[in-house]
Amino acid sequence: MTDPAILTEGLTKHYGEVQALVDLDLEVKMGEVFGFLGPNGAGKTTMIRSCLDLIHPTSGRATLVGLDSRTDSVAIRKHIGYLPSDLSMYGDLTGRDMITYFANLRGGVDRSFVDELSDRLQADLGKKIGDLSSGNRQKVGLILAFMSKPQLIIMDEPSTGLDPLVQREFQAMMREVAMDGRCVFLSSHTLSEVQRVADRVGIIRSGHLVDVESVDDLRSKAIRTVELHFDSPVDASVFESVEGIRDVMVADHHATMSFDGQMDALLRVATEHYTLLDVNTQEADLEEIFLEYYRQEGAAV
Amino acid sequence: MLANVYTKSIRDRLGSGLIGAFALAATLLFGLWAYKDVDISFYYDLPPAVLELMGIDPDTFGVASMAYGAMYDFMGAFIVGGVAISIGSAAIAGEEQAGTFGLLLGNPLSRRNALVSKTASLFSIMVVVGVLLWASAILSAELIGVDTAGVHLGAISIALTLNGLLYGMLALAIGSWTGRRGRASGVAAGVMVLGYLGANLLPLIDQDVLAHIFPWYYYSSNSPLNNGLNGGDVAVLAGLSVLCLVTAWVGIQRRDLRDKGAEATLADRLRANPMTKKMVDRIAGSARVSNITVKSASEFQGLLTVTAGIVFYMGFFIPILYNFIPDDFVEIFATFPDALIAMIGGVDMSTPAGFVTGEIFSLTAPIAIIVLLASMGAGALAGEEESHTMGLLMSNPVSRGEIVVKKTLAMVALAVVFGFTTALGTWVGTLIGGQDEITLEGVLSISLLLTLFGLVFGGVSLAASAATGRRKVATWATTAVALVTWFMFSFLTLTDSAAGLANLSPFQWYLGNDPLVNGVSWVDAALLGGTFIALVAVSAPLFARRDLRG
Repeated sequence: MTDPAILTEGLTKHYGEVQALVDLDLEVKMGEVFGFLGPNGAGKTTMIRSCLDLIHPTSGRATLVGLDSRTDSVAIRKHIGYLPSDLSMYGDLTGRDMITYFANLRGGVDRSFVDELSDRLQADLGKKIGDLSSGNRQKVGLILAFMSKPQLIIMDEPSTGLDPLVQREFQAMMREVAMDGRCVFLSSHTLSEVQRVADRVGIIRSGHLVDVESVDDLRSKAIRTVELHFDSPVDASVFESVEGIRDVMVADHHATMSFDGQMDALLRVATEHYTLLDVNTQEADLEEIFLEYYRQEGAAV
Repeated sequence: MLANVYTKSIRDRLGSGLIGAFALAATLLFGLWAYKDVDISFYYDLPPAVLELMGIDPDTFGVASMAYGAMYDFMGAFIVGGVAISIGSAAIAGEEQAGTFGLLLGNPLSRRNALVSKTASLFSIMVVVGVLLWASAILSAELIGVDTAGVHLGAISIALTLNGLLYGMLALAIGSWTGRRGRASGVAAGVMVLGYLGANLLPLIDQDVLAHIFPWYYYSSNSPLNNGLNGGDVAVLAGLSVLCLVTAWVGIQRRDLRDKGAEATLADRLRANPMTKKMVDRIAGSARVSNITVKSASEFQGLLTVTAGIVFYMGFFIPILYNFIPDDFVEIFATFPDALIAMIGGVDMSTPAGFVTGEIFSLTAPIAIIVLLASMGAGALAGEEESHTMGLLMSNPVSRGEIVVKKTLAMVALAVVFGFTTALGTWVGTLIGGQDEITLEGVLSISLLLTLFGLVFGGVSLAASAATGRRKVATWATTAVALVTWFMFSFLTLTDSAAGLANLSPFQWYLGNDPLVNGVSWVDAALLGGTFIALVAVSAPLFARRDLRG
């Protein structure tokens, strides 16, 4: 059986009184693109840096491609590609020098594949890193992460500065990695991107992993937007008794609401008082789901 | 402190000024304490010509005059100048290279307003430094119980401040014209070092007139400590600072501001030229990124060129220069009693070997190699962390210990190049100057010990860098260790009670046995080498056990 790409058990990191990561249990499988979502300061980068042994967990452990993050950290790095957030590189090197340097450190990099990646991302490797725009620097960073065809690619906010065309190409590259049986771990708050490429999503909030779902499951049980059209003006208070309903807005013959309860109950109430002419439901996208988790966080605070 | 550009600049930069001032104050306190017990009666037996040469007035001369002179003539002036250069180069060029100058000018603020605010902050910080030096000079004397009659502490504090301010203003002007911090600080530091050498060496060979072209001459030649302020000197130093401000005023307005970006080096220009591209690509391109050691060494090739270049040229010229020193000067040196020789580093300046040791190997070469290797030590680990490249580097299959070792090897490589360059320059100068008394073995010996000595301070910097991940901490820790150990070597040897402590100083291991004359003391070499290895050995676990920052 293949080892999970990432497995964390009770992974915890404290900075003094601040709990950056609390008891995180997570399994990321090979052959998938895993989206890791959370607001700023939720603990996404702390989790990644703990897994890469850049910082040491207060307790718990992590394995990457079956190897322990503390004792086998060097061996792990042979199998991973990494793109940090707020990517910084050596400003006095050209993109090509930068790639040569890391290819030398890593070994086994196929230069023709580097050229292929460079073409796909339209990267300018002849200029000094310090003279490149943030988007073009990011392209060099992506090449560094992908060039050795690693088993696991960990990326922290990788789309920063990329134009839409390059983003599309980048997403295709991620899907190819997953189809190749390898894994992409994508930390992001670009939800549309995660929605497009991820197979599963983990949501982290205040250092706690609050949910791990497939993107499809998450959508299916998510809040929907429901629009009801009646033959006469309606009163919002009619819907108060229905479980799972919120944010009811009424305008003349129309009522719009967010709803995650039983549709049968809603329709029963609606038809009990008025003649219902039309019903329109919209599946929530990841953005709304994410915002919902934010709301919960606000309520908890 | 965030009310405006002026206060923010003070907030950002006052720390380095305060650290410099307090470091000097501490050294001064210890220096006075050491000098207090020294029998200086032999000075009064020196011929009047010697006293005149040394700028000593027999009526006012005393412990205070000696101690303050020892502190301020060289070390103090360089520290104050270094602080000012650091502030001046950061003022405009630093903001530009950090990419924050454009952000600043996104507000209703003209370039020249920004320049004026930055200049005012530099001036204010230097005034604070000057006042602190003056206050610490008085307080130290009070605490130790040294009579300060006949010395002009206010005058030396003002002269130090004006001298330092000039180099800070020069750095600010160059930064305003180029937007390049490295260039601004490098050129200003170069002018300062050359000025010091020119102002002090040229009078020895009857070239007083030529010495006038160096600004340092207007700081030191009239000895403000002993003679008070000279109005003409003050006017020249202040006038040159104003000239720098005017230059900056013109420069900042007329050019395109740079965005955050990399500095174009000579190698870059050669790479851009089709004629030289292939060759330079091989040297400066793929070769320098072949592994961590080579890459780390290549990052400091510019600093190596400057520091080793200065020492090479000094090594080349000093043995030749000795031939031009008038005989009566040499005779005067020969009359120095042993106690006085001990005070100037134990070198007999009347001999070629003593002159070469005193002028090259006692201070200039040690400072140059400490600057080079301490910068490397600080940059090696903390530099990568602060520039947020360490995370990326460690995504490759290299362990933390391996990174420490490979960066250390780069440091050793540069130290060896520095030592070899020093030996080469000195030996060629010795041959051309016909100084038969100086042997090749002596030159190699002192250069070897210099190399090991530099590595000790590189090791201190590396260890501090590994422990904290902060370049500033590493730099200042190394500076503090260098100052304290220099103090132990220079002053504690003069005391009866604490002379033994000098044996703990790397300066003693390096120079104590006069290696240019006596060859290598292998015990000293082992002490230096062993200390370096111990510091590297400590660095690895310090680096391995903590959370990385970048």
